[in-house]
Amino acid sequence: MAEGDISFDPNRNYDDETLSLQREIEKEIAENQELIGPMQPIEELIEHYAKEDQIYRHKLMDLRKRHSHIRKVRGDGNCFFRGFGFAYLESLLTDEAEFARFKDIAVKSKDNLVALGYSQFTIEDFHDTFMDVVGQVEKKVSVDELQNVFNDQGISDYFVVYLRLIVSGHLQKESDFYSSFIEGGRTAKEFCSQEVEPMGKESDHIHIIALATALGTCVLVEYMDRSGEICNQLVFPEEGARPAVHLLYRPGHYDIVYSLTSD
Amino acid sequence: MAGSALKRLMAEYKQLTLNPPEGIIAGPINEDNFFEWEALIMGPKDTLFDGGVFPARLTFPSDYPLSPPKMRFTCELFHPNIYPDGRVCISILHAPGDDPMGYETSAERWSPVQSVEKILLSVVSMLAEPNDESAANVDAAKKWREDRKQFEEIAKATVRKSLGL
Repeated sequence: MAEGDISFDPNRNYDDETLSLQREIEKEIAENQELIGPMQPIEELIEHYAKEDQIYRHKLMDLRKRHSHIRKVRGDGNCFFRGFGFAYLESLLTDEAEFARFKDIAVKSKDNLVALGYSQFTIEDFHDTFMDVVGQVEKKVSVDELQNVFNDQGISDYFVVYLRLIVSGHLQKESDFYSSFIEGGRTAKEFCSQEVEPMGKESDHIHIIALATALGTCVLVEYMDRSGEICNQLVFPEEGARPAVHLLYRPGHYDIVYSLTSD
Repeated sequence: MAGSALKRLMAEYKQLTLNPPEGIIAGPINEDNFFEWEALIMGPKDTLFDGGVFPARLTFPSDYPLSPPKMRFTCELFHPNIYPDGRVCISILHAPGDDPMGYETSAERWSPVQSVEKILLSVVSMLAEPNDESAANVDAAKKWREDRKQFEEIAKATVRKSLGL
């Protein structure tokens, strides 16, 4: 808006205009990026960055030493949860022991939420959908079929909601431990209802640690920003076992990456 | 997605019918369309709106409960958090990213584990305690702040009118 052109029209509904503009931007992103994209060689990503962008190109070369492929995830504020969900289930397709352990936790997770005071009717649809997707993994669908499931917006979003609820349940149950990591003097319950449960809220370290811990698994994140020479790698939780999920973080966004060695 | 929304709305309707919260009646206007509800909200006791019965409409999106419904009073209601056309403007009807009114970060927000019941209970609290920090009706907020007596008179008249008196 040009200076001196600031006029307030009380009859206009600015709130609605802001919201509809936001919806349009979301729609544009949705048309250009699948919820879970195809596997691509990391080299294709390098080509996206301009030759002049030496820092990122350099870091991608560094990433290339450890990871061969990337799978892009739509940037809608749910990318950590959706990316984690897909990559974890993909790893479970070929790991029966780990699958059995995970399924047991998944089945019981609903009781934890009910014990915390969530009404049955507000959580059961999400849990049902979540278990349906878990059932697909049990049937050993192909990776492509799993990708299709995650690209079905309805199912995919319900799956994400439930992962958010698992994090919320874990943070509330273990609130003594997590309270010192929660900013703004909020209780675990307040933090969860503001930063975890609403769709589209972006994830921070606390979400990653809580999800990995609640499911008894481990996540490796490669951090790629404009500082330093190489990517920083962090494993959540720190003392965790071999990471089942590898993610690439670029400011504000997570994508899935695949390790060079398939050990 | 509309199938999941319908299932959830039917579950919520059942819940509200079996355990109705005090001072609230809500349900679909027509059972052929679960996405349009009518609610009747009693003005909370010992507040300016005590004794009134205020009808409102709730319109649910096809991806409910991922997205919140919209709510609009269909009667006259002069209140800082209700637009002059009746639309209700409280934080629980917005996800944290949708922040046109600059709600406080501590305010309750929409998430898929909220419900019609929680919304209506928040609306009852809103009637009891207007929030003039995020005003949808600037005139009402101003009167509430600067001329409480006149605000009270308008509220009383609204209560009488809501009862058809």
